[in-house]
Amino acid sequence: MSLSLRPNAITKRRRRELLVGAVLLVLLALLPLPIGNVYLRGLIVLTLLYAGLAQGWNVLGGYCGQISLGHALYFGIGAYTSTILFTRFGIPPTLGLFVGSGLAALAALLVGWPSFRLSGHYYAIATLVIGLMAELLVQNWGFVNAAMGITIPFHAQSWLDLEFRVAVLPFHYVMLAYAAIAWIIAWLIEGSRWGFYWRAVKDDVEAAQSLAVRIFPSKMAAASISGAITGVGGALYAQYIGFIDPDSGFGLSLSVLIALPAVVGGVGTLWGPLIGAAVLIPLQQLSAAWLGGAGGGVDLMIYGALIVVLALARPQGLVSLFGVRSQAGGEVMDNG
Amino acid sequence: MVGFGLRRLLGAAILGLSGLSALVAPHAEAAPADILIGAVYPLSGPAAAIGHDAEIALETEAEIINGHHNVPMLLGQGGGLSALGGAKVKLVFADSQNNPQIARSEAQRLITEDHVVAIIGSYTSATAVTISQICDRYQVPYISAENSAPSLSQQGLTWFFRPSPTDINFTQAMFDFFAAIGKRTGRPVHSVAIIHENSVFGTDSARVQVSLAAKAGIKVLADISYQANSPSLSVEAERLRAANADVVMPSSYTSDAILLMRSMHDVGYQPKAILAQDAGFIDPAFIKAVGPLAEGVMSRSSFSIDATRTRPGITITNQLFKARDAGKDLNDLTAREVTALQVLADAIDRAKSTDNMALRAALRTTNIPGNETIMPWEGIKFDSTGQNIEGTPVILQYQHGAWHTIFPFDVATAPAIWNIGK
Amino acid sequence: MSAALIAQVAIGGLLMGLVYALVAAGLSLIFGLMDVVNFAHGELLMLAMYATFVIHENTGLDPLLQLPLVAVILFGLGAAIYRGLISRALDVRFNTGMVQIFVTFGLSIFLVGAAQLAFGSDFRSINDGFLSNRTAAIGPVVLPLSQLAAGLVCLIAFAALVLMSRTEFGRALEATREDRDAVALIGIDRQRIFSIGWGIGAATVGIAGVMLTNFYYISPTVGSNFALIAYVTVALGGFGSLLGALVAGLVVGLAEALTALVIDPSLKQIGIFAIYVLVLTIRPRGLFGRL
Repeated sequence: MSLSLRPNAITKRRRRELLVGAVLLVLLALLPLPIGNVYLRGLIVLTLLYAGLAQGWNVLGGYCGQISLGHALYFGIGAYTSTILFTRFGIPPTLGLFVGSGLAALAALLVGWPSFRLSGHYYAIATLVIGLMAELLVQNWGFVNAAMGITIPFHAQSWLDLEFRVAVLPFHYVMLAYAAIAWIIAWLIEGSRWGFYWRAVKDDVEAAQSLAVRIFPSKMAAASISGAITGVGGALYAQYIGFIDPDSGFGLSLSVLIALPAVVGGVGTLWGPLIGAAVLIPLQQLSAAWLGGAGGGVDLMIYGALIVVLALARPQGLVSLFGVRSQAGGEVMDNG
Repeated sequence: MVGFGLRRLLGAAILGLSGLSALVAPHAEAAPADILIGAVYPLSGPAAAIGHDAEIALETEAEIINGHHNVPMLLGQGGGLSALGGAKVKLVFADSQNNPQIARSEAQRLITEDHVVAIIGSYTSATAVTISQICDRYQVPYISAENSAPSLSQQGLTWFFRPSPTDINFTQAMFDFFAAIGKRTGRPVHSVAIIHENSVFGTDSARVQVSLAAKAGIKVLADISYQANSPSLSVEAERLRAANADVVMPSSYTSDAILLMRSMHDVGYQPKAILAQDAGFIDPAFIKAVGPLAEGVMSRSSFSIDATRTRPGITITNQLFKARDAGKDLNDLTAREVTALQVLADAIDRAKSTDNMALRAALRTTNIPGNETIMPWEGIKFDSTGQNIEGTPVILQYQHGAWHTIFPFDVATAPAIWNIGK
Repeated sequence: MSAALIAQVAIGGLLMGLVYALVAAGLSLIFGLMDVVNFAHGELLMLAMYATFVIHENTGLDPLLQLPLVAVILFGLGAAIYRGLISRALDVRFNTGMVQIFVTFGLSIFLVGAAQLAFGSDFRSINDGFLSNRTAAIGPVVLPLSQLAAGLVCLIAFAALVLMSRTEFGRALEATREDRDAVALIGIDRQRIFSIGWGIGAATVGIAGVMLTNFYYISPTVGSNFALIAYVTVALGGFGSLLGALVAGLVVGLAEALTALVIDPSLKQIGIFAIYVLVLTIRPRGLFGRL
């Protein structure tokens, strides 16, 4: 792996990335305007949400190499916090989401502290178990209405409360802002000293071991950033759907869906999560409309097969199809 | 987009069956437009079997409304909706995948793209929450066919209508039964043991049971909450055995119901009486799986299949349903789905229009006597929250290979096998 | 809470624990061999259960008698999965660890869909087997014969695994685990070892599956319940350690049963998870882990 240290090379590429990002932002902002179809607009909203979530996951999973299968924990904390603050204390979700993401960041630190010293698969399973524990606990916790979940009833249109009766367009811009900010954070991390450390360490197992102590604080920081981003996504989602329950907030399939776009699109890359979300989310949503009644299970078979095929055929992610040289050209969790 | 063309193709294929009735209906060059009614159910995933049954139940009722089967009940004479020139009802199905977010977006799609006049759904409470909310926002009626969680009609929605009794009504019926059978046999219930799965259904159900037991002066010797789909329920069965209450009251879905019965048998516990909160216990798969262990099991229900004397509509409706569903009889869920469409169609007919405001007004003034339906209820009349206040549940008991109605006594078709105090 | 009750619950928990241990052993074997966590392990269990059901439906063959048959079928399936998918996953040039995770994840989703398509989502069960609905009483303790037999068979299978690890083949497995690349030098065919390893791993979970059909329902998603407990058991016992899988399985079974009894049945899984978290904080590689 060549680590180009020439300042000009780095700056030029990164400037190009910013330009592409800006153009994409403008295009996405204009995208829903000619589309009158409410369903399609909703599809794009969810895709943008998952683009942001995947970007957040990627900070920890892609750049830091810690594959988390329990990110729904942070999503759920963000969603529930914001929802409870809104429905019970009247605090608008535009403020509540900060509280939610703060708590999620804290949770990420608590989880990371004991689990970062676990190697690869051990870590993945630990996050899986913790995520499931959280779902179980919430399911049995009366304060958050246990299994019944919490509904956010509609009262009045308001940007502060992120309440729009049936309009999808406002949420498009909210989620676009979310995905854009997550992308910018990832871009900043890529260019930072932490990013540098992590890339160096990922390829070199011995360096990883000897630098483990040194990079622990930066990993904790990555965990909290990742958790915070995911928490914001959860809060926005709850407000969009108007309902949150243990399954939609903390479920395993949610954790997988948060991780998958980055994996499919390209872990540790800037564009991977976006591409992955653009491919996977419409597929998942439309499978209900296309296959639902006709094939009981066919949609799962296609979904599963796609994951396997993409993982095997394009392990560096779909982003490699675009000839984008992976910034993090090394391995994630090489166990050789 | 290709995808949506495919969807329409699939929709047409699914509705192919009801196309038969189009052949029977009188031809008219300028036939009135079909009335599109949306239905959101889990058509894939673990609950797909239930969703599939719902589809068939709704299609059966649509066939009755549109065809000429002359069923002795409201709208049973067929020929479409007379007030709208014989317009036929046409169902548009959508798969919720039992996921509240997908249920919501599918409901939204049905409303904005297919322009359905109302939506029927949805089996689970979580999906009912999001569907009813989005319907409310779009000002489109949502008919809850078989969601029994009481909280659904407490959301403050004004476009929500539920013909079915709620778990509060059902549980009240259970305790009414206890009081009545105690008086009749002289062997009343002194204690109960409650066991429930810990999701919405079970938790809500248990809560009501505990409070009604207190009111009736019946001791609750155990209140066990368990994780649905557990690998093992032997400890739970042990606790029930230790409690040794007069009646075990389970609220479980099918797989847990099967496991629970087996576990109780395995630990050598034969409860004196089991009165279930429906769900898994009335699933034919349950009966098939536990075999002889099901003898004597009681369950609340909203439907009595053997009430053909007082509900003559049952015979033909069941025949039509059976023909479409591989010989399965109507059950508690499918009967309510049939009725939901009947209620909706009646309201559209009375409204003489598909305008949503007119439809809501008509729904609000619904007043259908019980014997015009296949349900053993007093009738269908909605209160201000959209809840039917005349839905009277029944208690069934599995005796010698079939379900019999044992309560209320005036509609009972068999005496209860009552082992308390013997 | 009588002593008899506690004894009954504890013994039941230990019996289930033996089943968990066997399921975990297969998982641990595969991981110990090639650092691959098989996230489709639960689905292998599910397939074994369906295989038993289908054979029983069509031939009337009792599950007990099907043990060798289903074990062979699952062996073939495991080897096929290795050849067809895992070997490819091991060969990818980037992100190998992550690819392995997601390949088996995708496989598990695929298998659940396939089962749903083939069998529908209705629950199936075997009611008329030799062991169905029979109980054995030892003093005040009443145990279902099916669970007793399950525990016994799993224990025997476990012993067989241990014996196998002592054979030359077992040593070859161990050697391959230690140094994947060097074994070729001493004439060990890595691909063959891995295929057999996967086959054995799948066969063990197959045996557990056959025994489960005597008292557990069968559905496309039945695997996920057990898989979860298996992951925890393996992580608790230590990846790659058979002894660890056994001890951890017993601990998990016991913890689950006692938590249900003493605290609350709906929280019994929390008991397991809590122990897991505790052990991992104190001893990250598990009780007997050597990796």
